Amino acid sequence: MRILAAVIAIAAGLLVLAGYFFPEISVLVTIQTLLLNWALLMLAAATLVGALNLAAVHTNKIRRREKGNLYSAVLLVFLFGVFMLGLIFKPGHEVMRLLLNGLLLPVEASLMAVLAVTLLYAGVRLLRRRADFTSLIFVATAALILLGSATLPFGNIPVVTSISLWVKQVLAVGGARGILIGVALGSLLTGLRVLFGADRPYGGN
Amino acid sequence: MPLPFDLDLFAGLASLIFTLMILSYVIGDNFLFKLALYIFTGASAGYIASVAWWQVLLPKLVLPLVSNPVQGLTLVFVPLIGILLIVMKLSPRLAGAGRLPMAFIVGAGAAVTIAGALSGTLFPQVMGTINAFDASRGFLNVMINGVAVLLGTVLTLIYFHFGAYAKPDGSPRRLRVIEWLAWLGRFFIGVTLGTIFAGVYSSALTALIERITSIINLFGNL
Repeated sequence: MRILAAVIAIAAGLLVLAGYFFPEISVLVTIQTLLLNWALLMLAAATLVGALNLAAVHTNKIRRREKGNLYSAVLLVFLFGVFMLGLIFKPGHEVMRLLLNGLLLPVEASLMAVLAVTLLYAGVRLLRRRADFTSLIFVATAALILLGSATLPFGNIPVVTSISLWVKQVLAVGGARGILIGVALGSLLTGLRVLFGADRPYGGN
Repeated sequence: MPLPFDLDLFAGLASLIFTLMILSYVIGDNFLFKLALYIFTGASAGYIASVAWWQVLLPKLVLPLVSNPVQGLTLVFVPLIGILLIVMKLSPRLAGAGRLPMAFIVGAGAAVTIAGALSGTLFPQVMGTINAFDASRGFLNVMINGVAVLLGTVLTLIYFHFGAYAKPDGSPRRLRVIEWLAWLGRFFIGVTLGTIFAGVYSSALTALIERITSIINLFGNL
């Protein structure tokens, strides 16, 4: 079973990759599209299984009367309630729009708003706990960018605005490019390790 | 059929309640914040599951089987088997069978990752760094900005170079020149992360202002 899993992963990966590298060979592109459609279907099914698994975990918490089982009950009510509403109406229906605008979007936006407070707190803690070269550069840059982009009551300071623009468009771009290239090289290597069978995250060790 | 209540008012009131529940985290982790998070998790999971059903499983799996069972089965036979094996992951005894479709998804995903990393990030970023030396931008621009971008890119990459040799006592040590260059790379990493922090902080602040404005508007409309 483990060898078969590795063979399936490597074969699927190589066939999909071939479609990207040889777009002029229509057979390879057709196979790639077919395989990606299959993967999409299986991913959608995995999403449903994931939701069921979440429900199972919280049902067990309620059955064992674990701490916080009230939260689990609320979670289950909303999980099945919203899923049933989604099945009866469609995701574009007014009821689902109400759910989106009344629950999901406000909670997401509010969590982002809470981030404003926690980030400020984290920035202050960083300076108090580890005031080294990188931390100082980090905080100074953040302060400079915020000063340069915010609308101040007494008007913008031209020098600060120009310097912050230059830092954003040149220095930060250089660093971001280095980080992005590093991430891309890491992703490339991880993907290749899966295709060579060196890494088997699907449990085929 | 029209709904028996004002939809926008109901959405506004619900939005107000959930906003206050989440913002209560500012005074510390509490019952209302946790309750809102569990409601959000359950509702999100249910919403995503219904979207997966309507947008993927129904049109691409169920409808082909219902409209033309023989032709449909040949089209979706393999993913159907895969889905059955994935469902087996719910049972601890049969979970091993789910390894095969997961291997398929991981393999296809790895190929998409490789193609995406090459064509979406690696080539465009390298080309962007080369284009910073475009002569049409002017000599001074190239000498200052182009060199700064190149230095930033290279020094940041060097910072993440962890190749080392063993010292006589067995402990690992990077080459001295790499150590110096990596120290310079820390400057660019600090600047980049500071800029990202400022961007995220601005977005968070905008979200906070938007939430407060929506509450004020709701009371204004009542």
